[in-house]
Amino acid sequence: MGLVQGLASVDRLREEIRDVRYREATTTFCRLMTEQSRSMRDMIQAAIASAAPFVQVPSHLMRLPNGELRGVNYDHTILGWRGAISLMGELGGTRGILPNVQAMWYVPQGLNVWEQVVCEFPGHYARDGEQCGRRFPGADEHVNRFDGPAWNPPKIYFEDHAAIEGGSADDRLARMQWAIAEGDKAEAYGLFLGLANDPAQRHRLKDAILFAGITDLQDTIINRGGYQNIGHKALRARALVDIADYLGWENAHDLIYTVVPDLGCSPRLYGLWTEISTICRMELPDQAAIPKRSGKPLTERELDILTDALLWGGPFDVNAVVMGFFRRGAGLLDVGDAVIVCFQRYLIDVLEHPNAFLHPTHALDYMNVVQSWIRDYGNPHQVKAVFMGARFMNDTIRSNANFPRDPAVALEPRQAYRAWADSVPLDRMLALLKTHVLAQDAPRSCALVDSWLDRTTERHDLLDAITYAACHWQNDPHVMRNCASSLEEFRHNRTSRRDDIVRGFVKHQSRYVKRAPTHDCYQVYAEHFRPAA
Amino acid sequence: MEDTITLAETWRIRNAAAATLLLTEDQMRRAVGAAGMEELVGLIETFAPGRSVGPEWTRTFEVLIERLWSWRDDATMTALADIFRARGMPWAGVANALAPEQGEHLRTTLRHPAWARLPAFAVA
Repeated sequence: MGLVQGLASVDRLREEIRDVRYREATTTFCRLMTEQSRSMRDMIQAAIASAAPFVQVPSHLMRLPNGELRGVNYDHTILGWRGAISLMGELGGTRGILPNVQAMWYVPQGLNVWEQVVCEFPGHYARDGEQCGRRFPGADEHVNRFDGPAWNPPKIYFEDHAAIEGGSADDRLARMQWAIAEGDKAEAYGLFLGLANDPAQRHRLKDAILFAGITDLQDTIINRGGYQNIGHKALRARALVDIADYLGWENAHDLIYTVVPDLGCSPRLYGLWTEISTICRMELPDQAAIPKRSGKPLTERELDILTDALLWGGPFDVNAVVMGFFRRGAGLLDVGDAVIVCFQRYLIDVLEHPNAFLHPTHALDYMNVVQSWIRDYGNPHQVKAVFMGARFMNDTIRSNANFPRDPAVALEPRQAYRAWADSVPLDRMLALLKTHVLAQDAPRSCALVDSWLDRTTERHDLLDAITYAACHWQNDPHVMRNCASSLEEFRHNRTSRRDDIVRGFVKHQSRYVKRAPTHDCYQVYAEHFRPAA
Repeated sequence: MEDTITLAETWRIRNAAAATLLLTEDQMRRAVGAAGMEELVGLIETFAPGRSVGPEWTRTFEVLIERLWSWRDDATMTALADIFRARGMPWAGVANALAPEQGEHLRTTLRHPAWARLPAFAVA
């Protein structure tokens, strides 16, 4: 990193974010904390506020000149913050700062997505996904101008609005949910702002926004192109709730501006929700009375049956199996826990291609939102969300299976390295694991974890090592989000196969495609915060 | 006495399924052996996402590739690889499965136990 001159300030941070100067913005973010003792909370709030006007899109579908539609990506800046804030507590101390620096590094790269996908604004979609540098090179062929800085200010597609007050809370909550479903972004946003001002309504408001996000989910992504949301409405709702609780709701205006309008953005997809509502109405007449935990968790045989349905069955197999568990008296979290662990066998045993992790792990993150919603709220519709999560997982697995397997990306079996892993002393194992995760060597990383899990009951340090190594990779908020989901579900899971979450987690973090081969962001973090290791 | 199926009965059912599969494999071997290039290309094309009847079909691609490498000669396989390589990135995975190094790998690793009637092909 070069010498940084001048006073670090929030104004400077705001300018660097909007100019897509992500290296400079990250340095300013760090300097504000190290040189001026600004709190992490204040800095996150400032960064969110700086980005908020520029993360909305007119639609997540763009009509092409030939009449076809293409998808427009969802804002990921807020998802990075949600993951980072969660990991701050998990990693603790100086190490816990790293995911936040990564989130900051990403923010300037994730603005103005609509312009990015048509190569009119720099950022990671333009630079990486759309390969705009090759299509529209600048004067210097050695410089990719889509890496920033911006040559135009980012566009604002949704102006800030005033809160809508007045009327009963019941009425306003109902109107807000209807406005989201109907795509009236301004009404939904205004009503949310008004309700958020009333602490007495906060719990109901959080429940309502999570419900709105969870119910908006495509029934399939197979050959659907952009006509899907791969769980982003739910992921954004969870981010809003968690970050507002962290910042304080009195400081959450820009966060709400970032998230709520997009809940009503097109496309809104309620086909799966309708299907699941119909079968639950027919088969589970007392669905609202299903307990969270029943004392009748799934048996080993039932876990096998669910694994088979999720990984190798079709959508109606999944419906039938999950329905059977609820009809015989299993609780919401009993089945939800099982869905989480059974899905891990796909990560552990099946996935090979680094690109193929993306959709299934979105389904895992969606299921994490479902589980946290069930844990923290008492909504009578929660049983349907368990079906939704299981169906989403199954669909992403089927979508991947619709492509012939490429032997060029075949993985060596983790078992091939088990004897080697067993020969490593326990006190050297975690340092070695970090090395192999950073080398993206999945077979050895997985073998080390298998060995650790069999040799000791210690889990905290193991999860910490995987998470910290994963957070070295830059440009990708999915990493922090998936780390947060995996750690949270591991902590809450009550099945006998809970350790499979660790096995799936390390496979994902040592194999999933990376957006940059270097660790420049980590270097900025290390320069400013000087971590021990 | 409990009305449960015995292990021996279960094994007899399994053997009946294996006998059916053996006959099916032999029919498939003869059909693949007799197929012309156009037919082989047509079969492989059914594994494209836009033509596949679904993931259950596409999941059998590896299963088919094992048999093609076992039942057809190198010249045929090279010709197939060339055809799909020329179609670009969407077919890269298919072309890689038809590449000579993949054939060599499969042929050297596909076990054929002395007591078995067929090599240890993947079934599903």
